[in-house]
Amino acid sequence: MNLIVDIFAGATNGLREVWSNKVRTLLSMSGIVLGVAALVAMVGIVQGMLGNMRASFERSGGVLRLEVYPREAPESQQHIAGISPGMTWRDIVAIEKAIPLADYVTPIVDMGWESFIANGRRERAMLHGVTPDLAGIKNRKLDYGRFIADSDIDAKSPVIVVGSYIAGDLFRNIENVVGQQLRVRGQVYTIIGQFEPTASRGFGRSRRGWNYEDRMNYIPATTAMSRYKGDDGVNRIEILASSVEAMPDLMSQINNTLTQTHRGIQDFEIRTQDEQMEELKKLENSFIYSLGGIAGISLIVGGIGIMNVMLASVSERIREIGVRKAIGARGHDIFIQFLAEAVVISVLGGLFGLVASVGLLTLAQDLIPQGENISNMPVTAMFYGFLFSSLIGLASGIYPAMRASRLDPIDALRYE
Amino acid sequence: MPKMSSRLVDRPSFEMTMSDSRTVFELQDIRRTYQVGSEFVHAIDGLDLQIQDGEFIAVIGTSGSGKSTLMHTLGFMDSPTSGQMSFEGEDVSNIGRGVRARLRSTRIGFVFQSYNLLPKLSVLDNVLLPLIYGRQNSINKKELGYSVLKRVGMEHRASHRPSQLSGGERQRVAIARSLVNKPRLILADEPTGNLDTKNRGRIMDLFGSLLDEGITLALVTHDDVVAQYAQRRIRMQDGKIVEDDGR
Repeated sequence: MNLIVDIFAGATNGLREVWSNKVRTLLSMSGIVLGVAALVAMVGIVQGMLGNMRASFERSGGVLRLEVYPREAPESQQHIAGISPGMTWRDIVAIEKAIPLADYVTPIVDMGWESFIANGRRERAMLHGVTPDLAGIKNRKLDYGRFIADSDIDAKSPVIVVGSYIAGDLFRNIENVVGQQLRVRGQVYTIIGQFEPTASRGFGRSRRGWNYEDRMNYIPATTAMSRYKGDDGVNRIEILASSVEAMPDLMSQINNTLTQTHRGIQDFEIRTQDEQMEELKKLENSFIYSLGGIAGISLIVGGIGIMNVMLASVSERIREIGVRKAIGARGHDIFIQFLAEAVVISVLGGLFGLVASVGLLTLAQDLIPQGENISNMPVTAMFYGFLFSSLIGLASGIYPAMRASRLDPIDALRYE
Repeated sequence: MPKMSSRLVDRPSFEMTMSDSRTVFELQDIRRTYQVGSEFVHAIDGLDLQIQDGEFIAVIGTSGSGKSTLMHTLGFMDSPTSGQMSFEGEDVSNIGRGVRARLRSTRIGFVFQSYNLLPKLSVLDNVLLPLIYGRQNSINKKELGYSVLKRVGMEHRASHRPSQLSGGERQRVAIARSLVNKPRLILADEPTGNLDTKNRGRIMDLFGSLLDEGITLALVTHDDVVAQYAQRRIRMQDGKIVEDDGR
């Protein structure tokens, strides 16, 4: 009970002291303000960034996605490597027919970067030849039109589904570009679908997306083969598993099937997304540790600032301490008074820091286009930032408060 | 010489023989030794003293005579190195810092030469300061504060800052502060040292009037005029009492 009264009196005293030394207080709390603001804002931005990367990962099929890439046949098969037809359309057909665990299968006929021409404008973007299953693998929404259909594959139709980058740049004043035509390497395509941009925020909401995925454009795989490649080779195969549990079986089934179609030559490899997940996690951790470290250091520097100011404040008020002791203050009354002052400074600093961080995050939202996830204020980081800054204040107040409380009243009163 | 002091001086000194309950302080062979470098300084060197209820004592002596150390000892700011000391009949020779602080906050009032008011607090808050540390659960602290300010004639300045007051006014506020916890003994260290003659008279009259309320008063001075107000004069030299006209 007495302790509560002491602490309350100490805090009141601390507030009064803080109020009567406004400039000094502001300067001494600036380290904490910056530390908390930096911590919260950086965590917010990094969370947003990583959130975007996760979202992007999910959009491309997430952990269920498998990729089959061609590779060199092993040393032992080098001499007969020529008997393999390589990765072709027949692999797709075989997988579709033989493996029910694969929910979706599409070849990627990778045309790489191409020039897209329409309305007298030219833009570079990526072009892939795919089948309708791609829509099941990539978790992408269409703003307008439809995706490639089986009939397009059969008919090798000259149709294209465009990303927001091409839609926005080649057809600047047209919101819905379905039905428009464009040219790639002399071939004319009719736009049948238009993806929605991956970022929902940015400089207003532009159709011109900023992500890699917004620069992707798709034509039927058969169209790509007949118009450009001249054969039925594919660059890789993307497969979506029906479930995580099915993945080991699915992988060995794919291996068996392709070994058959490749006449026993192991000139392909199956890749999972584990590595990418791992990378993402590593990235997340390295961000958290490095930023946490930097913010922690700045908070500690802020704490040292407070300690410095408190030490100055103690030596400035030695006489006051003497008077208080002479009229009956015990050591711990003085201790609590100075500690409360340090805590008041750091708590106020922490609060200002939170306010500043909200400002910084709002600013970041307007400046960083792909910041769709930055809108979430990092409440946990705010809580810990505030808690940590208060603890730092407490810790940095202990030594000065101890010095103040140990002063001898007679010496303190004599002090000039 | 003002009227007040003559009345005080006329007061009979038979109090010395009264029962123990009227004894505020009893000091026997008190010594206080400091070590300065390799040398020992005997600030108080075997001192015997009895202070009775309602006495007005002036301690005089040159600087270095030990009078300040005596005041610190009586004010529980310091403990004697050796000797017996009792306060209100209780042995206080070897009490700890906590007990000393409690005694300072509840039984002793201090008045200093340089007033020692806290500049950032109002006059009223300065006066109420001892109550924070005295842990008195007083029903109405403000009312108490105003009443002691009224007692010293400063209630109209309650919301002012010390810097807005004259020296005499500040000392009156300091006296109000020393009164607020209803002390048994008020110790004053050169209370008029920074004041002009007119204010000196007023402050001494004020002290005199406190005696009527049963407060015991001890002040350190080297102003003979001030010493004349006291009923008992103690002269110190080299840490010993060399003259005590109250005996």
